[in-house]
Amino acid sequence: MDDQTHAETLEAFRNSFSYGRRNDLNFKFFKTASDDEAATFLQALLHHLGDAYDTGDAGPMIEVAYEAQVNAYRPPPGVTPKFSFDDGPFAAVTTAVANARVGMLTTSGHFVVGDDPEPFGEAGLTQQDAVDRIGEFLRETPSLSEIPSDTPTGDLRVRHGGYDIRSALRDPNVTFPIDRLREARDDGRVGGLTSTFFSFTGATSHGKLREQLPGWVERIREEGADVMLLVPV
Amino acid sequence: MCHVSVGHVARAIEGSDVPTVTIMTKAFSHRATEMMLPRTLVVRHLLGRPMGAAHDVERQARVLDAALALAESATTVGTVVELPDPYRPTPR
Repeated sequence: MDDQTHAETLEAFRNSFSYGRRNDLNFKFFKTASDDEAATFLQALLHHLGDAYDTGDAGPMIEVAYEAQVNAYRPPPGVTPKFSFDDGPFAAVTTAVANARVGMLTTSGHFVVGDDPEPFGEAGLTQQDAVDRIGEFLRETPSLSEIPSDTPTGDLRVRHGGYDIRSALRDPNVTFPIDRLREARDDGRVGGLTSTFFSFTGATSHGKLREQLPGWVERIREEGADVMLLVPV
Repeated sequence: MCHVSVGHVARAIEGSDVPTVTIMTKAFSHRATEMMLPRTLVVRHLLGRPMGAAHDVERQARVLDAALALAESATTVGTVVELPDPYRPTPR
């Protein structure tokens, strides 16, 4: 083989982590980073790994990864985002949180076992299916899953092709803090919870999402929340 | 994508007179100001872990309480507060 001819560029290497042959959603930001940023990140990561051989401390590696994410997604100067607003609605909170009924909506892609929203009308889609079909999800009409707030944590399922769900599989509360809300209610830190929480796959068509919103809002309002907690992923 | 999606949702819910508070990871927190969300708590956490690491009950509760405190204290649209605690792996 002619190594010169077939040598992989750093750009191709970076891109392969974002739905490519090295797909890893924790590191898809490589595609957004520059070659220099990616190289600097990898060098720093390996340097701290060398320290961790002795210390066992992953903290510096995690900090490097965090900073790399923040840098990679920082908006470039002078670029106007597609969705930009000078003002927005503001509803006053009229009930002290300790007395308030709190609701929740997340974009984490959670649903209750047996109540799969079945994207594309297909039952049994796996996480790998969702990753492989992320382009279709981004053109799809989102479906709002209703999750009773007394759902046993073990009955939650998650599927989302836009982020690494391994942490959410270990503990749903990292993206859908249902246990934390129940503890807050039981401790009296909040007055109560709505009967139903909500989740959808946030990697979706924004145009089709906005078409759904009037119906979603009507349903959410039925829950009578004094405050809605929103958790994007 | 998710942070823009939640921006549309937040504006719609708030527009129906239901107060919202949004928890955003730092990497995408610029969406809060771009989309002029009502109240946003920014966390210095890794993507995919907005509330904290798996089974880090203490941190997850702290994030929740900070978000709810912000809901109560914010008086104007576009309020953004950053929680200073850096991400930490699950305490052993």
